[in-house]
Amino acid sequence: MNRSNLFLLAIALAIFGTAVVAGHPNWGTFTGLAILLLAGAMAAGALPLGSEPDFVVQSVPRGKISNSLVTLSSAAVLAVYIAGYHRTGSAADGFAAQAARRRTAAPIVAGAVAPKLATPRVEATPAVRPPSAPPFRKVSPRASSAPVPNAAPTAATTEDSPATPSASPAASTSNDQVAVPAAPIAAAPQGQYKDGTYLGWGTSRHGDIQASVVIQGGKIVSAEIAQCLTRYSCSWIAALPGQVISRQSPNVDYVSGATQSCNAFSDAVAQALSQASE
Amino acid sequence: MPSPKPFPKPVSDADYLRTVALMGTFVTIHVVGHGVDPQQTIRREETVERAFEWFRRIEESCTRFEARSELRQLTAQVGIAVPVSTILYEAVQFALAVAEESSGAFDPTVGHTMETRGFNQEYRTGQTIRTDLEPGGSVSYRDVRLDPGRQTITLLRPLILDLGAVAKGMAIDLAARELLPFENFAIDAGGDLYLGGCSPNGEPWSIGIRHPRRDHELINSLPVSNRAVCTSGDYERQDAGEDGGHHILDPRAGVSARAVASVTVVAPTAMLADALATAAFVLGPADGIRLFDRLGVDGLIITPTLERYATPGLSCAC
Repeated sequence: MNRSNLFLLAIALAIFGTAVVAGHPNWGTFTGLAILLLAGAMAAGALPLGSEPDFVVQSVPRGKISNSLVTLSSAAVLAVYIAGYHRTGSAADGFAAQAARRRTAAPIVAGAVAPKLATPRVEATPAVRPPSAPPFRKVSPRASSAPVPNAAPTAATTEDSPATPSASPAASTSNDQVAVPAAPIAAAPQGQYKDGTYLGWGTSRHGDIQASVVIQGGKIVSAEIAQCLTRYSCSWIAALPGQVISRQSPNVDYVSGATQSCNAFSDAVAQALSQASE
Repeated sequence: MPSPKPFPKPVSDADYLRTVALMGTFVTIHVVGHGVDPQQTIRREETVERAFEWFRRIEESCTRFEARSELRQLTAQVGIAVPVSTILYEAVQFALAVAEESSGAFDPTVGHTMETRGFNQEYRTGQTIRTDLEPGGSVSYRDVRLDPGRQTITLLRPLILDLGAVAKGMAIDLAARELLPFENFAIDAGGDLYLGGCSPNGEPWSIGIRHPRRDHELINSLPVSNRAVCTSGDYERQDAGEDGGHHILDPRAGVSARAVASVTVVAPTAMLADALATAAFVLGPADGIRLFDRLGVDGLIITPTLERYATPGLSCAC
């Protein structure tokens, strides 16, 4: 609101205040006086009192530019958020079913290949995961019971895990023409991958990672870490604690710039996918 | 092989932490506290799921590694005004604005150069991509036109857009927006962070900045709250071809930028922080700091010889 508008508003308020004083002798006097006072204050603010520097002009060179990119980024986020909210809303709906599937699928390490199709709309309440357990912590008891990765879970997944991690991904990528897996659009050509939950291993210099890949309708719908047998207890992935240990810096929550190659994970996923396309 | 260690600093029972592989890296979302009531727990899981869903949506639209992505579809049409989704439009619009602001040091049209220099593998499948473009000399951000009214993008010449920095930042910001009701949360997408509110100990999140040369050391740590922190370093994603080459190209020269080892930016949005970190990487220390000052964000630039340059807000990190 610029000054002249403010001034006009102040005048209007003053008239209104006077009317109140005149019209309602009981309680109106005080209210009216208050309104009048407010009008006076506004008028004072609106009038160019003293030689105040022209701050509007002054702030333009820096303010305008700095605002433009900061504001533009915020505006972009808001625009996308509003435009896409309904679309992501459906993700949450699908979540209950998917989460139920994940929970039921996770314990069946051996039967990894069993297509876990029918779990129609299990209401999430019965199987609620204890809130204390993020996914990979949940499996850690099993991990500690089998601390040697080579001896870890079961046949299909372990045979070539740490020793020859590169072999299977390479094979898998050349076999299946992979254009489709993450393809979101179009009537996904069914049968690129068989539906189900698959597990695979990958190796990094920090240790081994087991990936769990869920295929639904021939598409990869999720790829997550199922087990983590790394030196830093998966922390270099989860970013929290291991870095604290390894960096000798106990006060750090997260580290910026700590990009880690996720080769181990993609190897593990590739291995899982090779089962899905068999 | 040592057995897995338990978390040395256990996350409180009420915290919720989940990690998913997305956008070529690991994305962790951490929600602090908020009780253990089952109803609340379910709502929290749903919200976190929605936050991850933003990463998937944006990756779907903006990846140059997937032939069917909207971005690649756009690339296939030169000289035509292509109607695009809000996600792609806003991402490109913002990328062009940063390009303008940084005089081309940041340029989203480097996609094809990146591709020919070996940054061409889909991270989940290992599948490589190759796009044949007519050799038509160099392209720049000026070859992209926007129509805000009809929400269309026109490429004036054959080119490939690389929205890597912007798309990841945008996904982080949208996830943060989704998590807003929780107040205290952290999003870590491969070392690009957004920190909402406070950490579990009730203080602003303490964020370490990685040493650009020593893997497990920190330059320093800063308290951060309701801000994004992004770092670009020459130690990520090495280029197989060029000796010492890495993933940040100087769009104007087509080779890896070399004046800087790492750049950290603290800004209100991850989109901005990530894009400016890339821009400053190319601009070099002096111009980079000038850019930060002009835009009112905080930044720290470390050179290959480990000299540090910082804006006043981060001078404590030096």
